[in-house]
Amino acid sequence: MSDNGDYTLAELMCVVAAREFPKRGVVMVGMGLPVLAGTLAKLMHAPDIVLCTEVGAIDWRPSPDVSRAPIGIHDLNLNNGSVMTSDMVDALGTLLMGGNVDLGVLTAAQVDRFGNLNTLVLGDYCAPERRLGGTGGNTEIACLARRVMTIMPQERRRFVERVHFNTSPGYIDGPGARQRAGLDPQGPNRVISTFGTFSFDTPDGGMTGSCEMVLDGLFPNMEPDIVQIETGWELRVAPELAKHEPPTKEELDLLRRLDPHQYYLVPGRY
Amino acid sequence: MGERKLMSENEAIERFVDDGDSVYVGYTSAAYGLCQAIIRAGKKDLEILGGSVGPQGTMMIMAGCVSRVRTGYLAGALRPGVVQDLMASGKLRFEDYSNQAIALMLMAGALGIPFIPTRSFLGSDYLKTEYRDHPGGYLGEQKWAEMESPFDGQKVVALPALRPDVAVLHAQRADEEGNVQIWGHQGDARWAYWAARKVIVSVEEIVPTEVILSDPSRTVVPGARVAAVVHMPYGAHPSGFVGYYDFDYAYQARTMSRITRSYEGWQAYADEWIYGVKDRAGYIEHYIERFGEAALAAIRADTGPSPADGVRYTHAQHLRFRM
Repeated sequence: MSDNGDYTLAELMCVVAAREFPKRGVVMVGMGLPVLAGTLAKLMHAPDIVLCTEVGAIDWRPSPDVSRAPIGIHDLNLNNGSVMTSDMVDALGTLLMGGNVDLGVLTAAQVDRFGNLNTLVLGDYCAPERRLGGTGGNTEIACLARRVMTIMPQERRRFVERVHFNTSPGYIDGPGARQRAGLDPQGPNRVISTFGTFSFDTPDGGMTGSCEMVLDGLFPNMEPDIVQIETGWELRVAPELAKHEPPTKEELDLLRRLDPHQYYLVPGRY
Repeated sequence: MGERKLMSENEAIERFVDDGDSVYVGYTSAAYGLCQAIIRAGKKDLEILGGSVGPQGTMMIMAGCVSRVRTGYLAGALRPGVVQDLMASGKLRFEDYSNQAIALMLMAGALGIPFIPTRSFLGSDYLKTEYRDHPGGYLGEQKWAEMESPFDGQKVVALPALRPDVAVLHAQRADEEGNVQIWGHQGDARWAYWAARKVIVSVEEIVPTEVILSDPSRTVVPGARVAAVVHMPYGAHPSGFVGYYDFDYAYQARTMSRITRSYEGWQAYADEWIYGVKDRAGYIEHYIERFGEAALAAIRADTGPSPADGVRYTHAQHLRFRM
């Protein structure tokens, strides 16, 4: 998407995601936009969160003058200012599977109406149109974090009725599905896109309700009809829609400073 | 102990990597120098693995060393190109796992237990039978099994223990006995050191054994588990290595951006940076010739004083047992 005023929609997506971080708790950020939004959140909106990555950096406390957000979850700068550096068995085992991660922040190639993610393949798994890099730790974070927030550009090819391959379960195919699969309830889950924000219609983490994604907030100058155009199913819209504010100068300056080489916010990508 | 494990990378690969071996290559402790030595040695029919597999593993695929991949993320599969074509044609077989799965499978291998349960993958499409038996697969029913806990009936996925034939890893330092010390985030490397039948490790520095003994908490594996240790400064380049040098993005953009797009792109890289040099020392010499000392200096890690330098493991030498 193109410029919207003096900021891009991708920048606004990261800023809104950072604002939506909880004020405390253990947050595991995945590869890509989540680690950028996480760094912004830690430095501005949620200084008390315990920020972790799956390769083993636990409670990363970037200095205010950190020169960049980590490029990938294995950036060496995660070793400067982490309370603990350990390994994947700790990060994805004792920390995550042990029940200590309050929020997982993820992105993927596709998300569907039940919040399932696909990181692996486009088309049929057995005869794919295209392979992707793979899931890394996305699958276990989706299975095991108490809540998940997904950051995903609003595009019809990404917001699909059903993910081509469910690498990372959300509410799977509706109420009770997580429980039947052997997973704990999860939520309230969120999706942050380049057009607005979404929640899921379930009061109890997927046991009851339709478990469908619901548009609950709009970015400036956006309308539900526009969001619907870039959504691959008939989108439900909350009766009251939050109006998200544009990025402040402070948010925008810091976000741009954290991505000095436009590694994340590649011009023209979203 | 006391056996000398120190040798050249070419000797280590010749002695300890056999055609057909399964080789842990991983991501965060990427042993580019050792992987490129495997390529130069022309090893064949290898399985490469790691929770994630970095570009050093992709290079082994491009060079024709690899027939199978077991991982949660493969660097070269991200974009259309040779790796995707090899997977689609069945020439490169693969089993998709995840970071947690491979880390736990290595831990199970290290512990000597046959499998380990996880609660990851539940509810995902990975577990569907038709996907388990996908055309590129080679593990079939050996890949995993859904089961219930014998104690409380909880659903879990049983992952098979993984004992690679070889692990190639890069580390900060070791002594000549192969006692290896690492620090910083470790990915799944820590358990690869303990799970592999043969461990080949390249290190930035060889240190006297007294240094190891003075800081034992940093030892990831004792020399008894290490087959070979290779002194190899910049052995993880163009990946970064904590405390020594950072990721060389400029080099990657300049030389590596086309290596999986086509075999021509690969050959141009390999001829210059792998087949065109004798070993990692030759690679670094060539780097300096090509890009200058300043390029190398630009990635070097800060070396200022560290508050952690004064860590002590001391105790009272002469305790009295009676007052």
